Amino acid sequence: MRLPKFEYAEPKSIEEASSILSKEDGAKILAGGTDLLVNMKHRVETPAVIMSLKRIPDLSFVRPEDGGIRIGAMTSLKSVYSHPTIAEKLPGLALAASSVGSYHHQVMGTVGGNLCQQNRCKYFNQSRWWRSSRALCFKAGGELCHVVKKKNICFSSYCGDVAPSLLVMNAKALLESKEGKREVEVESLFTGDGKSPLGLRRGEILTEIRVPRESQEGFSTYMKFANRESIDFPIVGASLWASPDTKTVRLAFTAVDRKPLRARKAEERLSGGLQKSALEEAARLVLEEAKPVNTSLYPASHKRDVMGLLLESMITKFLGR
Amino acid sequence: MKHSVALSVNGDTYDVLISPNETLLDVLREKLGLMGTKKGCDLGACGACTVLVDGEAYLSCLMLAVNAAGRKIVTIEGLAQGGELHPLQKAFIEKGGLQCGFCTPGMILTAKAALDEEAVPTEASIRRKMAGNLCRCTGYKKIVEAVSSVAALSGKED
Repeated sequence: MRLPKFEYAEPKSIEEASSILSKEDGAKILAGGTDLLVNMKHRVETPAVIMSLKRIPDLSFVRPEDGGIRIGAMTSLKSVYSHPTIAEKLPGLALAASSVGSYHHQVMGTVGGNLCQQNRCKYFNQSRWWRSSRALCFKAGGELCHVVKKKNICFSSYCGDVAPSLLVMNAKALLESKEGKREVEVESLFTGDGKSPLGLRRGEILTEIRVPRESQEGFSTYMKFANRESIDFPIVGASLWASPDTKTVRLAFTAVDRKPLRARKAEERLSGGLQKSALEEAARLVLEEAKPVNTSLYPASHKRDVMGLLLESMITKFLGR
Repeated sequence: MKHSVALSVNGDTYDVLISPNETLLDVLREKLGLMGTKKGCDLGACGACTVLVDGEAYLSCLMLAVNAAGRKIVTIEGLAQGGELHPLQKAFIEKGGLQCGFCTPGMILTAKAALDEEAVPTEASIRRKMAGNLCRCTGYKKIVEAVSSVAALSGKED
């Protein structure tokens, strides 16, 4: 499968990269390439300009500092989970990064690229030939969402592994452009709109993730249910963070909605104590908060069942720590 | 617009004129004639196109060739030294770690990256790192045996 034609840029600085993004309407950022290039081969993304961030210095690092841990956006997933401080202090993030794709994807893929990956759907992530048997879906440039049979809306799922683990750690994202920098919650990067899932402003580039110090003190884990353990995107992925006194519990899911989802109602219920009645109610509450639809080979009802199972498994792991 | 790029492959430097939309896999096979690197799914799901980039296992079907400038690339053709096969290549032959042979270059290069990273890995670690390399003859057991035998050997040398 040939890639479609595009112009290629290798900016040497963030300012230069930001100028290209602001100027060129159809420009896309290339990090590890393991998501974008597959979509381009399938012709569901056909950017006019590809801009690689590889020549911009100092975007690949893990720096434990007083205020927390800073991770450069171009740091490979393998470098993230292999870093001793992350493996020890943020096991939930290490587990999430090491569950992405196969070993090769972890070597090539970056933490920033994983966060900013495209949403997925069984009608979207297909070859042009496969998709030619019906009208283009809304996300691919047509009118109709084949999942919900409605016009001008897209219900594709966000399926990144790393996002929920950062959500429960209250991680921040540093966004840079030629106008300046701003720090936002990782959670607020995501719009919840399947057609354009990322909410960056024009010319902005994700350059760094910051995990606050307090998140290093607690328990964290990530659990994933996928078709094959060796390589697949999650059918459902879930992250849990709990404070040492177990009074604060944070919970997030991936692949169950159009964005990675913090399950705040369930968190509130669990933060009162982890007795059996609270767990049962939390398992019911997470289903109210998520909106899985039939975007993968597994039906939404199965995703809901798996959400409850993963919640139970994570709590069991926490209690048995 | 075509780009003039110097690619370092198996210790040799090749000056090539390439379009940005050419993958490293296509350039290796079609421009440099190095057919040892195989094209399987071409979507990063089978591992047949694995090459070493600065010593790490990369999927050459998901890497733009223009992005490979300045990196050290090793393909299966570059493993044997002075006419002698690499220990992993010998082990695959001795243990019967190949049948049709299509997945073998990718398997051996992933195994090399894994062993360079961890000289005496557990079998679980070998299996985890090689899980992205598919063998449709399903000869996985002998492949893992071949890699483990080389790992045990390098362990003894230490």
